Amino acid sequence: MKTGIGVFIAAAFALGSSWCGLVLAPSLQLGSAKLATVLNSTDTYPVQRNGDATLGLQIYRANGCAACHTEQVRQEGVSCEVSLTSLGKNKPEDFKPFAQSLLTLPEWLDHTKELSAAFKDWTGILPQVVLAKTDKESADKMADLLKAAGCKSETRIYAFGSDLSRGWGNRRSVAADFLYDNPVQLGSLRAGPDLANIGVRMADANVQLQHLYAPGAVAKNSVMPAFRYLFEVRKQVDGATSPEALTLPKEFAPAAGYEVVPKAEAKQLVAYLLSLRANVPLYEAPFTPVISAKP
Amino acid sequence: MNLNDNKLSTEAEINASLRVSVLALLGGAAVWLVVGLALGIVASLTFHKPDMFASCSLLTYGRVAPAANDALLYGFCMPAGLGVILWIFARLGQTPLALPIVPVVAANLWHLGVFLGLAGILIGETSGHTWLEFSRAASVLLFAAFLLIAVTAAATFGARRDRELQPAHWFLFAALLWFPWIYSTANLLLATNSPVRGVVQPIIGWWFTNNLIFVWLALVGVGTAFYLLPKISTRPLATTGYALFSFLTLVFFGAWCGIPAGAPVPAWLPTLSGLAGGLLLVPLVAIAIIVIQTVRGAKVAYSGGPFCFTKIGMIFFIISGLMYVSLACPKYSRVLEFTWFSPAQVQLQLLGFFAMIMFGAIYELLPRVMNAPLPFPKFAKLHFFLALAGVALFVIPLAIAGVEQGIKLHDANLAFADVNAAAVLFFRISTTGQLILLLGALLFALNIFVMTIQWKIALLKTALAAIKAPLPVSEVKA
Amino acid sequence: MSDESHKDCCANSAGEPTATRSTVPMWIIVVTLILLFVGGVYFDHHGGWFSPKIYAPFNSAEEVEAYQPKSGEAAARARGKVVYDSVCGICHGPDGLGKPGQAPKLAGSEWVITKGMNRLAHIPLQGISGPIKVAGQDWNMNMAAMGAALPDEDLAAVLSYIRTSWGNKAAPITAEDLKKIRSEVGNGALPMTGDQMMKLPE
Repeated sequence: MKTGIGVFIAAAFALGSSWCGLVLAPSLQLGSAKLATVLNSTDTYPVQRNGDATLGLQIYRANGCAACHTEQVRQEGVSCEVSLTSLGKNKPEDFKPFAQSLLTLPEWLDHTKELSAAFKDWTGILPQVVLAKTDKESADKMADLLKAAGCKSETRIYAFGSDLSRGWGNRRSVAADFLYDNPVQLGSLRAGPDLANIGVRMADANVQLQHLYAPGAVAKNSVMPAFRYLFEVRKQVDGATSPEALTLPKEFAPAAGYEVVPKAEAKQLVAYLLSLRANVPLYEAPFTPVISAKP
Repeated sequence: MNLNDNKLSTEAEINASLRVSVLALLGGAAVWLVVGLALGIVASLTFHKPDMFASCSLLTYGRVAPAANDALLYGFCMPAGLGVILWIFARLGQTPLALPIVPVVAANLWHLGVFLGLAGILIGETSGHTWLEFSRAASVLLFAAFLLIAVTAAATFGARRDRELQPAHWFLFAALLWFPWIYSTANLLLATNSPVRGVVQPIIGWWFTNNLIFVWLALVGVGTAFYLLPKISTRPLATTGYALFSFLTLVFFGAWCGIPAGAPVPAWLPTLSGLAGGLLLVPLVAIAIIVIQTVRGAKVAYSGGPFCFTKIGMIFFIISGLMYVSLACPKYSRVLEFTWFSPAQVQLQLLGFFAMIMFGAIYELLPRVMNAPLPFPKFAKLHFFLALAGVALFVIPLAIAGVEQGIKLHDANLAFADVNAAAVLFFRISTTGQLILLLGALLFALNIFVMTIQWKIALLKTALAAIKAPLPVSEVKA
Repeated sequence: MSDESHKDCCANSAGEPTATRSTVPMWIIVVTLILLFVGGVYFDHHGGWFSPKIYAPFNSAEEVEAYQPKSGEAAARARGKVVYDSVCGICHGPDGLGKPGQAPKLAGSEWVITKGMNRLAHIPLQGISGPIKVAGQDWNMNMAAMGAALPDEDLAAVLSYIRTSWGNKAAPITAEDLKKIRSEVGNGALPMTGDQMMKLPE
């Protein structure tokens, strides 16, 4: 019986330790989290959802969307990319030999290929990527060298990983992304794509509604079940289509004289989906936001 | 084992005390097993024809899939486990069940709770947390019912005539204490009006899920196996040292697992959890040693009987545990996370490991407790082979689908629709496994039900006979 | 030992199972301790020592700090776009081409690609009203002091953005310069007319 009590105490300690470590400690550490600040700005994050989007989260919960969709993006690592933005007083002809001279330095041996590729066919167009996929230390060294040569450069920091290459986001998900969610619907299975940034990817509410009513109309080979019960098929009033009726391809369209209109639930769900935009840089998941400089 | 052996005067007494309680728990469990497997098949149909339930909100995948899982776990696994715990405590303690009416009430509360919970999920009244989907009323019922049964078990334990503690005692007693702890924590922090904020919710959710699906089921399943294996093989469990070690390391490392490597939480949480996952190898090895040493060379002439169920259940436990370790290891989890591999592991844990051990225990205890042979012993044997084939056909394709899906998901050049198409193919094969499992479960339920009906008819006959019979002399005098 | 226990397995009279007595084997304890040590080393490398700000793939606070992007030109440009889309783009159009009857275009506008930025900065700080000529088109509208409420960094970023986007190639503006102009303009200045504006140095 003595061993019995010993075993009992040991087991209670073992189980209780996990309660302290995985329930109590995270509650104390993360439970009172404040709004985060977007990097290099005074904006706070996340943005509070509007009423429809808040109700939409409950539609998302009630229909078990999280059974097939995750709302968390993973990241495999973080890298730097150094671009030459200005030659300063150097001429393009002067710069090429300088770049060539870097190749012989021992610390750039690992990057010989990229360096020579960057300047082989260079026609003097800026900005020009000098060093890509590198760690911060090498990037800083290169930036210093360029500065010493009288040039200007910029270092872009970017997260990488297969989720990000799929266009599902530009950084990993962190705790701050879920501050306003209740219940938090992280999901654990990707029978459908990740939705952490669906509001960025599919920003058109009408496309979202079409997709809910007839997934095949928007995404080919979709295995998502249709959610027709969130819509109403009704008779057109005086033969005219109402403004909120869905425009559907022929094979999904209702019979002539009828139209498909979303119920309140569908609109709320779409408002929630559009509010999913976890794409700002944060301290714990930094990156340099870029926008294409289209003419 | 001779059913008629009546060496101890209390033997018949113990069995009789257990009869109503165990039947109330196990009969309902058998129903939920059938319901759960049937719901699982309905859920799978969506992947065969996505638009099948497009206009029926009750049967949409996002509702039926969790309902199926909850029916299996809360409907079948838990009440079956509780019934078996009561039986083992009474048998090991050589004492009749204390408070025999309490588990009957508890069983009815429990099954009512499961019914309310499942109905709630189907109409959209869910908490939205995995494995905690049940509505608040249902959760309260389950919690109260569990406490009642735990009290009965503790009272039976306290009244034991054989004072010596067996390894099975440690495992089962820990399970009785741990469930109220995790269930109340999770419900109070997640399913109330002012739950914890943000990402703490999924952290507690993962902790609860891990401690229920992995730790709790392992405690009850392994504890039961540590009772059944030596009992049926009539050899001692080898040895207490390994058993003590495996018990303590299982609860210590097991309880810390569950936070996925890619979770959107600070690095220390998944790192600690992953470490605990790796260290789970230690109890797995210890348990494998115990099972092999106890079973090796044992002669039990009965293929497809309780012994086979228990042995195969333990083999599945080791496989499921290894799958769990691989999910915790960062190197593999980056491939396996978010794929069908994880559901495959859960289903192996529920249907391969735990359900097999429970079937073994129930086929062992039922004839004794009911004091009557199984009505269809051949069905029990057939059930073994169906369950084995069903689990293999269900879990193996899902696991392969998961690995393939994970590898392809990492190749960003492959369109997501194509990644999915490959996985869906395997998923469709796994539905065959579900059908076979359902067939086996029907045979299992049939045995229990015919047995119950026979018992009720016998009760009725005795009652009738008692009414018709002339009053005994002693009562006339009084 | 094991032979004995074989005989009296199911030792108690009711046929209930027992277990062979033994202590916990040493080898498995040693293996566990070694694994625990290896695990500790692993946590030291990857666990971030319980910091709430360290997420994988970072391993330490220094690493997170090192990878913070400097607010260089690219960041300022991105910031400029965000501010432009929410404040200016509504009337001037997301592509800077303006909207008929709402606001003139910014792409190629002589008001935007000035040599200095003094005159341009006055427009959002003070507002502009009355007839003006933009890229050969006549406009007669009012623009309120849309930028007066923006922080210096944001206004500088958005002005730099319109000066370097859609084919415009003028020098960007720094927040310090903007601060100076803002102090010259002061609070609550009335909108200027186009002619008054034209008299300001570029």
